[in-house]
Amino acid sequence: MTLTLANHPITEFFAGPKTLLDGSRLQVDLEELRRYLLEDQRLESVALEIVSPGDPCRVGYVFDIVEPRAKETGAGPDFPGILTPIASAGQGTTHVLRGTAVAVVDGGQPGGERGYTSRRGGGAKILEMSGPPSQASSFGNLRHLVVVPHPHPEVARHSVLNALRLASVKASVYLARTAQGKTPGSTQVFDLNGAGEDGRKGLPRVAYIGQVHGHQHGTEVDEHILYGGNTRGMLPVPLHPNEWLDGAVVVSYSWGARGLDTYFHQNHPIILDLYRLHEAKEITFAGVVATTSSGQLDELNRNCMVAAQIVKHTFKADGVIITKYAGGAPHSDMFETARLCEDLGVKTAIMVSDTAPDRRAESAALMNIPGVDAVVNVSEAADISWPAPAVETVIAGNPEVETLLANLTELPGVSVCGVTNNQGASRLQSIMY
Amino acid sequence: MRVVHYLNQFFGGVGGEEQAGLPPEIRPGTVGPGRLLEQALGDGSHVVTTIICGDNYAAENVQEVTAMVTQQVKEAQAELLVAGPCFQAGRYGTAAGAVCAAVQDNLGIPAITAMSGENPGVDLYRESIYIVDSGDDVSRMRGVLAETARLGNKLVGQGVIGRPADEGYFSQGKLRSEFVENTAARRLTGMLLSKMRGEAFEAEVPIKSIDAVPAPPPVPDMSRATVAIVTDGGLVPKGNPDRIPRAFAQVWGAYPIEDIESLRAGEYEVAHGGYDNRPVEQDPHRLVPVDVLRQMERDGLVGKLHPEFLSTTGNSNPLENSRRMGREMAARLIEAGVDSVILTST
Repeated sequence: MTLTLANHPITEFFAGPKTLLDGSRLQVDLEELRRYLLEDQRLESVALEIVSPGDPCRVGYVFDIVEPRAKETGAGPDFPGILTPIASAGQGTTHVLRGTAVAVVDGGQPGGERGYTSRRGGGAKILEMSGPPSQASSFGNLRHLVVVPHPHPEVARHSVLNALRLASVKASVYLARTAQGKTPGSTQVFDLNGAGEDGRKGLPRVAYIGQVHGHQHGTEVDEHILYGGNTRGMLPVPLHPNEWLDGAVVVSYSWGARGLDTYFHQNHPIILDLYRLHEAKEITFAGVVATTSSGQLDELNRNCMVAAQIVKHTFKADGVIITKYAGGAPHSDMFETARLCEDLGVKTAIMVSDTAPDRRAESAALMNIPGVDAVVNVSEAADISWPAPAVETVIAGNPEVETLLANLTELPGVSVCGVTNNQGASRLQSIMY
Repeated sequence: MRVVHYLNQFFGGVGGEEQAGLPPEIRPGTVGPGRLLEQALGDGSHVVTTIICGDNYAAENVQEVTAMVTQQVKEAQAELLVAGPCFQAGRYGTAAGAVCAAVQDNLGIPAITAMSGENPGVDLYRESIYIVDSGDDVSRMRGVLAETARLGNKLVGQGVIGRPADEGYFSQGKLRSEFVENTAARRLTGMLLSKMRGEAFEAEVPIKSIDAVPAPPPVPDMSRATVAIVTDGGLVPKGNPDRIPRAFAQVWGAYPIEDIESLRAGEYEVAHGGYDNRPVEQDPHRLVPVDVLRQMERDGLVGKLHPEFLSTTGNSNPLENSRRMGREMAARLIEAGVDSVILTST
């Protein structure tokens, strides 16, 4: 399976009479895009704006951030299971508009705290385009198309979320189709076809197990996560890493503030780093497993066992990196999977995100399992905040949130998109003093 | 800078174990390793007072000795207290930690000591004071004093104290978020490769054993026992009268169930942000099984269901806080004559 990413760096992104890519200048006909998105009859209206790095602008609350990508004509499906019928992602050429993103804003539903109910369990997250918070975010240096879908009031909440997801991938593909047939600035080729080739003998085989959802808070029936499926009752599934990078995986209606973004499924930092090591012949990249954290004990035991077995016996891995979904409970599944892998002789490294509100290491040490001793700790930014930069524009899903965002004096790190991340993208670390 | 130095009888040159009962003695100026300490602290620093105390005396009279050292530091108008280095000497290390912590807490004056990782003083005091890792080789005295002096000077000068490994002190177990050069992904792959190659690597959280809880003896006769239900799943009466938060709860509640046959949906809610609350709100017995226990009461399988259940939220709770709430709950239940407890979680 070979995936070629055709990278088109974008230096200008602006609205215009026609949607087209001219070199590195991306022009978008917002009216045409609006008509396309409004084909979804659940939506009453859609607001569209383009924001750039340094703009005194605040956006919230963000549903998801997606990198604009589209397959070359005839090369395969875009976001299969969501936007197109099921077909394998991960092969052929995919055009990427580097330096841009689609940020979809959730208007929430009336009620709840501050006139707004956020997604399950999660804090609401903000995209900040200027000042120190933007520099601390993985998304502050991108040019964003901000999409604010307004659903009809009678549409059920799960269906609203489904409509937001659909809008996010439609806008992403719509933009990137401008690159079809165009010569990219650079290309990257991803394949593991040489995994058995000479010169790899003796190299350690390394796999990755990633939780793509946490069943701690349930799942909507029409929620798209893996090839469009909602992962209910899903056993761990071995994937080719290219599938993961190429639209087979999007984030669930997640805990945004804790950091999982579709952008970092498309640019998965761990998968990309394992590819880097594979190409450098330091390791052989053995494969990836998508799994979930469980809501019930028997499910946990079943999933952890199956994931460990795949890594050991199918991938024949010597080592594995395991990451979790956002929140505390998914640590259980991650640690148990790691314990089983270690028992099978597969060395593990895992990533925790400590939630210790007292900032004491004692409270951060969630579990102690012999052999599970390689632990990276990403901070959840409980002790990081910035004075809110002055903004001229606030883009929000409803007037209550707009007022709230406009009057913020402080931006907690946990609420800024792209500061914390459970996919390996974050540079924020909890350091023990 | 004016410095007070605390030594035990051995390093104070008074004698060995036979002098361990020595009450504190005050000497002006340096004694024993104090001279090297003074040199290491640099020009302008003077050990103005040295306190020498026997190891046993300090162990048996902790409050008196810490009060006395605090008073001496105050009277000497010192800016720094140095205790030790203590290396592996356990009683010495424990006393050094105690006097440093007392001076720091009561006077707000920095205090520093040094000992080896095995010294019990480390676990007792590492979270409250700076303890330089001396190792256990006493012949390294000069080097250890130099490291102690360097960090001591920083403490007095309000300099930025770096990470434990860089500065040579035992971690105080405090977490700080910092932006670092490498992404978490890069750190993960690096750590895994090191581990697979058998090279040294360091976990980013403490890999620390959590106290094992010994299994309690069995309840001799459940048919005579009073049984209480305690949950950390956050079930509370509608309206959440104790305002138990959905995470980081500092409080717990006790809610009456006397004469209640079963818990009715709608009369309870869940204060817990860590799971899908709906199944419990639909039927609270899924978390607090009053119905089953009433039946067991009737069947004579348990003596009596305690007339209240206790509830809090376990979600993201710091250990120290959980321990406190556990102690408070246990005290209330023991006071009420409860014989056994069923703990339910989520």
